[in-house]
Amino acid sequence: MSNFMNYIHFPIYSVMVLFLGAFLIVVLGKNKTLRSIIAVLSVSISLACMIALIKPVMVNGEVIAYWMGNRVPAGGYAIGIAMEVDALSLFFGLLISTAVFVSTVYSIQYMAHDENIPQYYTLLLMLAGGVMGLVLSGDIFNMFIMVEILTFAAVALTAFRNRVFGALEAAFKYLVVGCMGSTCILAGTIMLYANAHTLNFAQLSAIIPGNMNTSTKIAFALLFVGFSTKAFIVPFHPLAADAHGAAPASISVLISGVLTKSGIYGIIRLTYFLFQTMGLSTFQFLLVFIGCVSMFLCVTMALAQHDFKRLLAFHSISQIGYVLTAVGLFTAVGFSSGIYHALNHTLFKGLLFLAAGAVLHETGTTNLDELGGLSKKMPHTTVLFLIGAFSISGIPPFNGFASKWMIYQACYQKAVESGNIGYVLVTVICLVTSVLTLASFVKVSQSVFFGRLPEKYENVKEVSFGMRLAMGIFALLCVLTGLFPDLVGKYLTQPAATAAFNASSYIDAMLGEGYAASAMGPFLPAAQNVVFYEAGVWSPMSWLLIMCIVLLAITIVAVTSKYDRVSAVSSGEADAKHALFFSGEEAVYSQVGGSDLFWGFKHNWRHYFSFMHDLHSGILNDYALWAVVDLALVMLFMLIVL
Amino acid sequence: MITFNYIASFFLIALGFYTIITKFNLVKAVIGLSIADYGVNLLIISIGYVPGGTAPIFTQGEITQLSYFVDPIPQALTLTSIVIGACVTAMSMSLVMKLHESYGTLDTREIRRLHG
Repeated sequence: MSNFMNYIHFPIYSVMVLFLGAFLIVVLGKNKTLRSIIAVLSVSISLACMIALIKPVMVNGEVIAYWMGNRVPAGGYAIGIAMEVDALSLFFGLLISTAVFVSTVYSIQYMAHDENIPQYYTLLLMLAGGVMGLVLSGDIFNMFIMVEILTFAAVALTAFRNRVFGALEAAFKYLVVGCMGSTCILAGTIMLYANAHTLNFAQLSAIIPGNMNTSTKIAFALLFVGFSTKAFIVPFHPLAADAHGAAPASISVLISGVLTKSGIYGIIRLTYFLFQTMGLSTFQFLLVFIGCVSMFLCVTMALAQHDFKRLLAFHSISQIGYVLTAVGLFTAVGFSSGIYHALNHTLFKGLLFLAAGAVLHETGTTNLDELGGLSKKMPHTTVLFLIGAFSISGIPPFNGFASKWMIYQACYQKAVESGNIGYVLVTVICLVTSVLTLASFVKVSQSVFFGRLPEKYENVKEVSFGMRLAMGIFALLCVLTGLFPDLVGKYLTQPAATAAFNASSYIDAMLGEGYAASAMGPFLPAAQNVVFYEAGVWSPMSWLLIMCIVLLAITIVAVTSKYDRVSAVSSGEADAKHALFFSGEEAVYSQVGGSDLFWGFKHNWRHYFSFMHDLHSGILNDYALWAVVDLALVMLFMLIVL
Repeated sequence: MITFNYIASFFLIALGFYTIITKFNLVKAVIGLSIADYGVNLLIISIGYVPGGTAPIFTQGEITQLSYFVDPIPQALTLTSIVIGACVTAMSMSLVMKLHESYGTLDTREIRRLHG
């Protein structure tokens, strides 16, 4: 214990350093340089601790069980408070600390003109510490505490720019429904305690699956709905949309990249470890169904949006739907593709939100109908945005394609293995969602970055280097994870998937070898030999090569040819009536706004869109009602199927 | 007797959620959250209850094999939960104040600039 640099201490360091940083900024935050140094230093140390754990946990397959104050279990009961880091926790810890690091770097210049900046950094570090504590904790009550900390910090940060349109309203709705979720988590936790008389996660996982009764089933429903509010999956998606629209872009990165992941992490722990019910096809149906609904509903909601960040928020939940669907398949390929997509989602969504933030920072608006032509003024931001847009739309060789391709395969493979034709439908929904995502991003890039530049934005400049650096880190990671899916699989997703399929090794690491076997008896899941194989191997490098060749060809043609666009148009088409513009007379130029590029499609679906628009009424009572209905349905589901 | 506690606690949770759903006043929504929170606190305390047990307060050496006391862990949890509940109320009331300043109303049906 004397050796403080032993890696078993790293998990607690990575949480504590964030809370310590938050405290120090309260005390010393008046000085601008000092608080930036403290903030960046604490997130860097946290990230470094996580990276240092890759070798022992991911490569060597260790599970770190860390008892606070060295209070190890006595008499077969876990009395102390524990942290437990297996490959799954570390996977989420890594992506959280990366997103937090980039967000902090971006904040330094992005938030420079706001008031109360010390409080901003305090809340940011509290949020980061809460999420890190959640994923590294081995104690279910501590998970609840961390959920409360992160909800509080997120609500406060949503309302941080309280003069922004709707910020207070979004924060209040999020607070009320989020706290309903937290109340559910606490009630579920305590009902599990009543059954098992322990709060240790590993010990609960050993006791609960063999002792299911009505109260544990209700506890499952409560915990599931509680974590759903944190992941913003249907029916909690309007909260995410409101919060993202109002929060500063650097916080949107965390809400979409980090908070939703904490909810997904909770659901994985709940279904794969605590109740170990994922083997049942009904539970796979539950997750896949909610995932598909989130995926499709949110992408159609996104098509109808006129606000840049609100649109991105709906896409964010749509991508979370992919993650949940893939995780719900309960196959090795499905799980690893799901968390691979979770990783990619954090990267590309973070990039897109930062790009939206850059646009807001320079122009002062995120309204798609007002913007246009910014590629002339902000070329670097445009390129970075396009990398993000290509990634989320699943265009090779970027990372979105790699993980979506794996998800399609996993769904189809599941359909073949289980003989259930429904999973073919799931594959189709995934594909259609991907197409609609692409359509939506064509619209966004057209109405923000291309087209004609409105006169009032003549003086817009490129954003500062620090902000571009933050976006560049995300963009680089997007490209790297897309180009080397094998390495990501070997070092990140496959160890995590192996951990998820071997709950008994998680339990044994905490409570001693053989505890799972003795406590669970016949309920011990057979040690799974997790196989990762994929059909239809594709080569990202050759796609990159093709893309480079095409780009080169376009450049050569553009530079060398004598083709003159202006003269070609004016000579060929004398009649302006046939020229390419949408409506009215040529003199009255109309920018392709938030609604117009796919107006035909939207016209055909107008009843659906107006129905959805009316449904998302923005009234707090409706969202609370959805939460309670969701809770009631999950409870009913639990009582019927189990 | 303890069954009554369980019924009461779930009734309080349901009442709190019912208040949030049916009342259109923001302050009442906050009250609903508090009621649900108290319901959970009552549930936690009831789970730790042992008929005839004493308070779990002992000094070193005082505790023996024959000591008969209620489960102390739920009581510790309740303290934490009460603190969190107070924070929720404080923060939501401050948001309500700010909302009233900028919207001039406390009616949820009028506080819906973000929708669709």
